[in-house]
Amino acid sequence: MAEPHKIIASVRNALGTGVRSNSHDAAAAPAVPVAQSAQRAELASTFARELEEVGGKFLGILTPAELTNRIVSLAGEIGAKTVALGQGVASDMDAIGEALERADFRIVRTLPVADTERAAMRARVADAELGIADADFAIASTGTLAVVSNANRPSSLTLLPPASLVIVQIDRVMTSLAAVLAEMGPAGVAANRLTLITGPSRTADIEKRIVLGVHGPKSLHVIVVWPQND
Amino acid sequence: MAEIPKAHDFFESSSAAVGDHELRRKLENASARHLDHFAQVKAEFPPYDDERDAAHRIKTDAIAHLDELLIELTSKLEERGCKVFFAEDAAQARDYIVALAKAKGARNVVKGKSMTTEEIDLNDAFAKAGIDAVETDLGEYIVQLRGERPSHIITPAIHLSKEDIGQLFTDKFGIEYTAEPEKLTAEARSRLRSIFLAADFGVTGVNFAIAETGTLIVVENEGNGRLSSTMPETFVAVMGIEKVIPRLADLSHFLEILARTATGQKLTTYTSFITGPRREGELDGPGEMHVVILDNGRSSMLADPVLRDALNCIRCGACLNVCPIYRRIGGHAYGSVYPGPIGSIVSPNLFGSGAGYLPFASTLCGACKDICPVKIDIPRILLHLRWKESTGKHPQKWPRAIERARRGARRFAKTARYPRTARAIGKLAAIVLKPLAHNGYLRRMPGPFGNWTRYRNFPRPRPHKRPEPERPPS
Repeated sequence: MAEPHKIIASVRNALGTGVRSNSHDAAAAPAVPVAQSAQRAELASTFARELEEVGGKFLGILTPAELTNRIVSLAGEIGAKTVALGQGVASDMDAIGEALERADFRIVRTLPVADTERAAMRARVADAELGIADADFAIASTGTLAVVSNANRPSSLTLLPPASLVIVQIDRVMTSLAAVLAEMGPAGVAANRLTLITGPSRTADIEKRIVLGVHGPKSLHVIVVWPQND
Repeated sequence: MAEIPKAHDFFESSSAAVGDHELRRKLENASARHLDHFAQVKAEFPPYDDERDAAHRIKTDAIAHLDELLIELTSKLEERGCKVFFAEDAAQARDYIVALAKAKGARNVVKGKSMTTEEIDLNDAFAKAGIDAVETDLGEYIVQLRGERPSHIITPAIHLSKEDIGQLFTDKFGIEYTAEPEKLTAEARSRLRSIFLAADFGVTGVNFAIAETGTLIVVENEGNGRLSSTMPETFVAVMGIEKVIPRLADLSHFLEILARTATGQKLTTYTSFITGPRREGELDGPGEMHVVILDNGRSSMLADPVLRDALNCIRCGACLNVCPIYRRIGGHAYGSVYPGPIGSIVSPNLFGSGAGYLPFASTLCGACKDICPVKIDIPRILLHLRWKESTGKHPQKWPRAIERARRGARRFAKTARYPRTARAIGKLAAIVLKPLAHNGYLRRMPGPFGNWTRYRNFPRPRPHKRPEPERPPS
């Protein structure tokens, strides 16, 4: 065999004779295959387009770290003084609540209530200018959010305040309504109240003109969360 | 239901409505806008026709197994903690609901939009019992303030202009006049919000009931259905027996088409899946939940194999928007809470033979059949009802003008049997009527024919040309 080219020799020289780390073997394959990642991005963008079509506002695809800051700035943008939130499906609502408090917003935390506290708690949620809730699923083809309510996450959060923010995880954005219902299954759907939300509250009862914010929120904001390690 | 007007009244109310140009302008505006939306969403959704087929099939199967499904639904509802009441007729349903409200000491009753509660005349029953029941859907709220009934099953105030509504709010609330829909809506929101927060008794309708899980589905855009079913301590859902579907997996087929045909949306803003009263520690939802399952003539429709198909109806209102009759006379003229083509089928069966004239209020053009999301053959059923009506024991008593028209039609039929005579009359008419014609149409005709030209033009008769005899195929 011929001598290696002298360039090879100079490369060898340049690298020296020390221990060479071999991180190439150790590097993990991406957590999410590229194809799946592209599919998710496409679902999220379809969702965003459909949401905007029904009058919702898409605030972007954010990392969990960016999420908190964006929420604090949203609360400022809409001029909120009080923000109501419950527990998340995946989001760390405690951290979000603390960040909002540090930024001088008043916080209403919806905890399980006794019968005697119900009216007072509702009045507090109704007085908040912004309600924050996690969605269990989103539906790309219609721009819909599927929100399950329970003792820690009441339906009021997406209904009573004039502005509503809903957060959904990227892996929970599904193609169609049928896919969401199949994923939840009969037992999942029947376990608690489920509400599908497609845009802000609206009416066309006066001369078929669309007006937003009849009984429910006038504005609906949505953030899709995409964890960095995913 | 309040008294259904007699055929005479319908003849008068529809004639008056046809002459009301302002009403016609509003109806044409609204239906044109509606049909534009529909064409657009349909074009964007290629599986629309497949979904229609699926919905038709599921619903037809469900109706064929209605007894079994109702048993399954009842047991699931009870398992989830609901109280189920079967009401044979409207009176039983409203008596049950009003007695319940009294027993609960209800003071503030809120109602989500529901045609079934209109059908049973629930508001009247509340009023007679001295209980305030407030309609909370914006359109329903407006017609309730006017002391009227809805004129469309999806858009109750379709017969009113924004100026009408502005004037109404000024008169009722003493606020400064405005005709801006945004301001009027904001006013209604703030008034209704305080009513909702104080509400102790809520009533809504039901769009679908899933037998497999005991889940009730309520679709809406405003949020009044969500509020009516979550704020009050006692909640009553009222549904016709035909609302039940077997499985959760069936539901998406209906939801994919209902909003598209009803309002031109892909999905309505809110779809609530309600399974039983609130759970321990929950902020929202009723402590007590009742489900009233109403027959009121539906089982007799089921017994008639032709009429049965009408129970597939999901109350989207699309057939009203395309109907040439509805678009000219509006909903009130029909005299029934269910106007339009589907109303002309269900009304005589839900409200008795008094409404037997309604199946005749159709041109049988078939636009309703073409648009129907569950493929009900409305013209066929209307013909069937006409046949039943005219061969029944108590045929309709028609107004004189209609009787005259019928006699005329019979005479025409007789004459037409003799081609030579018919042609001779045609020739004569062509000559006599020629001077009266205007651009090929007659605006006025003499004698009894004047009844035709009072409402529409008549094409000028022309001399008959003998058609080329068809050659037999060789």
